Amino acid sequence: MTLSSFILKNALRNRRRLALSISSVAASLFLLITLQIALRELTNPISDEGSTLRIIVRNKVSLGQPLPARQRQVLEKIPGVAAVSPFTFYGGLYKGDEKFTSFAQFAVDPLRTRELLADARIPQEQYEAWVASQTSCILGRMTAERYGLKVGDRVQFTGQIYPCDLDLTIAGIYQGTADDRNLMFHQKYLDELLGNPGTVGTWWVRAASIAEAPLVTERINRAFANSSAEVRAESERAFVLGFVSMWANIKTLIGGISVVVVFALLLVTVSTMSMAIRERFRELAILKALGFRRRELFAFILAESFGLALAGALLGAGGAWVVFHQLDIQKLTNGLFVMFEVTPRMMGLAFSVAALLGVLAALGPMLTVVRTSVVEGLKTLD
Amino acid sequence: MDIPEPIVTVRNLSKIYAQGEIQVTALNQISLTIAAGEFLTLMGPSGSGKSTLLHIIAGVDRPTSGECLVQGVDVTQLNESELADWRNQNVGFVFQTFNLIPVLTAFENVELPLLLTRLGSAQRRRQVEAVLDLVGLSDRMHHLPRQLSGGQEQRVAIARALVTDPKLVVADEPTGNLDSRSAQEVLGLLQSLSRPAGKTVIMVTHDPKAAAFGSRSIHLEKGELTR
Ligand SMILES: Nc1ncnc2c1ncn2[C@@H]1O[C@H](COP(=O)(O)OP(=O)(O)OP(=O)(O)O)[C@@H](O)[C@H]1O
Ligand SMILES: [Mg+2]
Repeated sequence: MTLSSFILKNALRNRRRLALSISSVAASLFLLITLQIALRELTNPISDEGSTLRIIVRNKVSLGQPLPARQRQVLEKIPGVAAVSPFTFYGGLYKGDEKFTSFAQFAVDPLRTRELLADARIPQEQYEAWVASQTSCILGRMTAERYGLKVGDRVQFTGQIYPCDLDLTIAGIYQGTADDRNLMFHQKYLDELLGNPGTVGTWWVRAASIAEAPLVTERINRAFANSSAEVRAESERAFVLGFVSMWANIKTLIGGISVVVVFALLLVTVSTMSMAIRERFRELAILKALGFRRRELFAFILAESFGLALAGALLGAGGAWVVFHQLDIQKLTNGLFVMFEVTPRMMGLAFSVAALLGVLAALGPMLTVVRTSVVEGLKTLD
Repeated sequence: MDIPEPIVTVRNLSKIYAQGEIQVTALNQISLTIAAGEFLTLMGPSGSGKSTLLHIIAGVDRPTSGECLVQGVDVTQLNESELADWRNQNVGFVFQTFNLIPVLTAFENVELPLLLTRLGSAQRRRQVEAVLDLVGLSDRMHHLPRQLSGGQEQRVAIARALVTDPKLVVADEPTGNLDSRSAQEVLGLLQSLSRPAGKTVIMVTHDPKAAAFGSRSIHLEKGELTR
C-alpha cells in the first residue's frame, strides 16, 4: 500500500455518495459550460474585416419597408463607395422544412457579390455559371452539407414575405465567410416574379476602406435625407449588434444563473467533503496518534476533495466538449445557434471552478483536523 | 541485582480542566517511574484520571504542569510535529475499540504507521508479516476488519502497535470489548511483549484479573496515586 492508494481507498469507501457527488459536480459544470456557450453565441456577433467594411442601408421607417431601386445610381456616386448591390431578404420556407427554415435567402446582384463577399471562396466556373443563369443560386457550404445539397440540385422555396415561390438551381457552393449558411440568388429573378415593382429590401454597400466606412455611412444617410424614402445606413456589425442588444438582459440572466450554479456546486462539494471527513473523525485521531502530522492529513483531505472536483470536471466539461462536438446544434435549435463551440477558455473556467471548489471544500475539514486533538477524536463515537 | 533503567519518569504531573468557574483536576501532582521492560497496569475507578495519565505519557495530551520524560526526552516540551514523529517511532497504541481503518485489510492496517518511515515496500512487507505472525494472524492478512472477530481485530491492532518496533506500548482497556477467552489471548500477548521482548507496556484496566497479567499495578483515585 502507498499513501496514494490509501487516499483512494478512503475516497472510495462510500461509492454511491462519491458517484452522486461527482455526478452533481459534473452536471453543474456541464450546465455552466452550456450557459457560457449560449452567452457567447448570443452576444458575440461575427466580426471580421468584411463586416466592418460592409454597410447595410435600410428604410428609416422600418426594416420591412422596401427601398426604391432607383436609389442605386445615387449610392454608386457617393464618394468612398466601392460596390452596391440589392440585398433583399426573401425569407422563404425551404421545401421539406416544416415551419422554419434556418438559413436565409437573399436576392442580390451577382456581379457585385465578389466585392461584397470578398472572403467567400467559390470556384471561378461556378461563379460564372451563377452570373450566367438568372434562376440559379449559390449556397453556403454549411447549409449545403446539412441538407446534402450539391451543385446542379434544384431547391424550391415557398414565399412567406413575398407572394411568389422560388425554383432555383444550385450553380455553386461558397465557403470562407464568417457564416457560410446563406443562399444568394438574382434580384432580377425576384423582380420578374413580382412583376418588377422597382424596389429592393435593403442595399448592401461596400466601403472602399475601413477608415472611410463611418464617413460613407454618414454620407449615405445625408444623401437621402428629406427624400421620399429616407434611409438608415449602418455597418453590418452595428446592424447585427442591433439584434444582439435585445439579448442584453439575457446576458445578465445567464450570468446570474451561472453564479447560482457555481454556488450550488460549492454547497454540494462542501457538504460531501464535510460528511466524508466527519464520519472519519475518529480515524483521523487514530492516524494522528500513529504519527501522521497535520500536513499529511491536510494532504489526504485536499487530495480527496480535489479528486472529487476534478473527476466531476473531467466528466462534466469533457462531456460538454464531446457532446457539443457531436451535436448538430443548428438543427436542434432551429438555427438560433449556428454552432455550440466549447472554447479553451470555457474549459479553463470549468476546471478553475473545480479547482477552487476542491480547495474550498477542503478548508472546513482541514480546520477540524487542526482543532481536534487526538484525545477529543478518540472520545467521539463511531 | 541490577536495577533496570527507568524508561518513563513522571514528575509532579497535573492536569486541570477548567470549565468556566469549575475546575476539574484530572491528575494531581503525580510522580512515578516506570522501568524498561515493565508491564505496568493502571487501575482505579472511572474518572480517576487513568486515561489522562496514559495519554500524557504517550504524547497525545499535554499536562497543565509537571514533566514527563520518556527515554530522557521531555515529551511535554515537544511541538506538535516533533511529537507526531516521536509517537510514530516510540509509542504503539492499543485502544478499547480496536480502531482499525475499516477499508483497509489487516495487512494494510498494520502497514499504515510504516508509510511514515523511509522503509521500502519489501522491507515493510517483511515487518508487517513478522508482527502478524507474532499475533498469530498470518492466515488473516487480507481480511478486512469486519471479517475478523473482536479478538482478532484487537490482535491486528496490537500488531499495528508493534510494527514500528516502539519501546513503549500503551493500551487503554484493551480487553474491555472482548469475551474472556479473547481477553486472555490479548493479555498473554501483551505480557509476552514486556519482559521477553524488552518492551514496556502500560495498560489501563478495570479488571483485577487482567491486572494480574502485569508485573506491577498502580492505583489512581481522584487524580492521585494511592499505592
Ligand atoms: N475534556 C475534558 N473536559 C473536562 N473534564 C475532562 C475532560 N476530559 C476528562 N475530564 C475529566 O478528567 C477526569 C479524568 O478523566 P479520565 O478520562 O482520565 O478518567 P478515566 O480514569 O480514564 O475514567 P474511565 O475509567 O471512565 O475511562 C474525569 O473526571 C473527567 O471528567
Ligand atoms: Mg479512560
